[in-house]
Amino acid sequence: GVAAELVQSRVEEKRSRSRGPGSSPPSCKSKCGWCSPCDPVHVPVQPGFIIRLEYYPEAWRCKCGSKLFMP
Amino acid sequence: LFVFSPVAHPLTEEGQALMSIKASFINMADVLHDWDDVHNDDFCSWRGVLCDNSSFTVISLNLSCLLLGGEISPAIGDLRNLQSIDLTGNKLSGQIPDEIGNCADLTILDLTDNQLYGDIPFSISKLKQLEFLSLKMNQLTGPIPTTLSQIPNLKHLDLAQNKLIGEIPRLLYWNEVLQYLGLRGNMLTGTLSPDICQLTGLWYFDVRGNNLTGTIPESIGNCTSFEILDISYNQISGEIPYNIGFLQVATLSLQGNRLTGKIPEVIGLMQALAILDLSENQLVGPIPPILGNLSFTGKLYLHGNKLTGPIPAELGNMSKLSYLILNDNQLVGRIPNEIGKLELLFELNLANNHLEGSIPHTISSCTALNHFNVHGNQLSGSIPLSFRSLERLTYLNLSANNFKGSIPTDLGHTINLDTLDLSSNHFSGHVPASIGYLEHLLTLNLSHNEFDGPLPAEFGNLRSIQIIDMSFNNLSGTIPPEFGQLQNLMSLVLNNNDLDGKIPDQLSNCFSLTSLNFSYNNFSGVIPSMKNFSRFSAESFVGNPLLCGDWLGSICRLHIPK
Repeated sequence: GVAAELVQSRVEEKRSRSRGPGSSPPSCKSKCGWCSPCDPVHVPVQPGFIIRLEYYPEAWRCKCGSKLFMP
Repeated sequence: LFVFSPVAHPLTEEGQALMSIKASFINMADVLHDWDDVHNDDFCSWRGVLCDNSSFTVISLNLSCLLLGGEISPAIGDLRNLQSIDLTGNKLSGQIPDEIGNCADLTILDLTDNQLYGDIPFSISKLKQLEFLSLKMNQLTGPIPTTLSQIPNLKHLDLAQNKLIGEIPRLLYWNEVLQYLGLRGNMLTGTLSPDICQLTGLWYFDVRGNNLTGTIPESIGNCTSFEILDISYNQISGEIPYNIGFLQVATLSLQGNRLTGKIPEVIGLMQALAILDLSENQLVGPIPPILGNLSFTGKLYLHGNKLTGPIPAELGNMSKLSYLILNDNQLVGRIPNEIGKLELLFELNLANNHLEGSIPHTISSCTALNHFNVHGNQLSGSIPLSFRSLERLTYLNLSANNFKGSIPTDLGHTINLDTLDLSSNHFSGHVPASIGYLEHLLTLNLSHNEFDGPLPAEFGNLRSIQIIDMSFNNLSGTIPPEFGQLQNLMSLVLNNNDLDGKIPDQLSNCFSLTSLNFSYNNFSGVIPSMKNFSRFSAESFVGNPLLCGDWLGSICRLHIPK
């Protein structure tokens, strides 16, 4: 089934890579300097003029209070 | 005896260059009035000019958003020590002068949002210190110069929204410092080169809205530095490769291409996804239940494909989801109860599928819901009483289904509604007066149902309403004169009912009314002849045998007093 297929693919990938597929949000551990708590958030990235009904692309940043930090 | 008289110092070469630059601008609002070598030869004090503290040479020119027209003078090349040029948001036209390549210290060149045309000059490639280059939102034509790849420190390259043609130069992908590549909204052709993953520092890759063809390269999984990958609205074909699962992206936008095959299961492992958009392709097969693993994803767009099978209950685990857009597919089965777990859901669009069963009562837990659209399915049952808790609803579309029963009075408490479309169902009973208290309502469509009873006089309170369509029902009684209070009403469609009595004169107070259909009712008396009513033709009134009007063929035309 699907899971087996995935596992098989992952095994195959692991032979050539150190890491399997998949991703997770940044942990943000100690990414906000002394500020805490430091949590991952989505922030919109404005690519220039876009139609109002479109969404902005989003990236992850680490946020503490009102300040953003690179993960 | 010497007498000193104030004599203007001859300007240096840089001062003269600035005066030439001013001369080629069209400076309608006179924003550069202090650029005046006669009254103030200290050009370092001029607006937007920044000089080095010791050498007094111009290092920065910032003239953004000053409504400047005209052209960029070739004299800009005489400002040899410029490090930064910012001319964004003006109305500059003409070509970018070749001489700009003489500003050898330039690190920032920002000409965003002007009307510059012609080719991108090759001389820009001479700017070895350049880190930031934005020519976004202009009218530039021709190809992207391959020589841009020779700028060793270029971190940010934005050429979006121009008219550039040709291929993306492959050499560009071998830049190790490039972090941002914005090429959206041009006419670029060619394919996505496997070389894009040589961009080891790139986090932003955006080629949306070009004419790129070919497939997504298998090597895409090596692009592990990408945070945003937007290849939407091109003509990319083939299947989504398994290796996409190795990306660490927050935004994956593949919509508006010609992608085929199934949605790869591996996407369900990409938990860093904030936005997943696979809409408007030719994807087949089911929505993989494993997508429910995406518990950090806020926006899921799968609309406009050929997806089959049910809506997986697992999607209820996507606890951060605010947009779930699945319309225009071939989905079957029921709307899962688990939808109610999506407490942040803002828009749910399931229109134009083959869904059946009733709307789950659990929907009442989606208290953030703003848009709800299930148009064009085979859903049945009645409007759940639990809709009363959806206080944020602004758009409710249940049209073209098999719903029955009456409209719950409580729907009148959904005070933010601007669109209520219940048309083409089997709804029946009286239309509740409470609908008249939806003061923000713009569109009310109850047509093609089995409603009976009178038109509520309370509709006179719908002060924002623009469109009322209640045609093809069994409504009876008269048109309440209160309808005359609807100052924004543009379209009033009441045909094919059992309405009778006189058409109230007050309707001629509806100044915005441009479309009206009262045909096939039992109206009687004389059509109001004043003001805007004269614009409506006979078709608006046919099928009312007892109605007299001022049109050719009306049985009582001769009896109307002139």
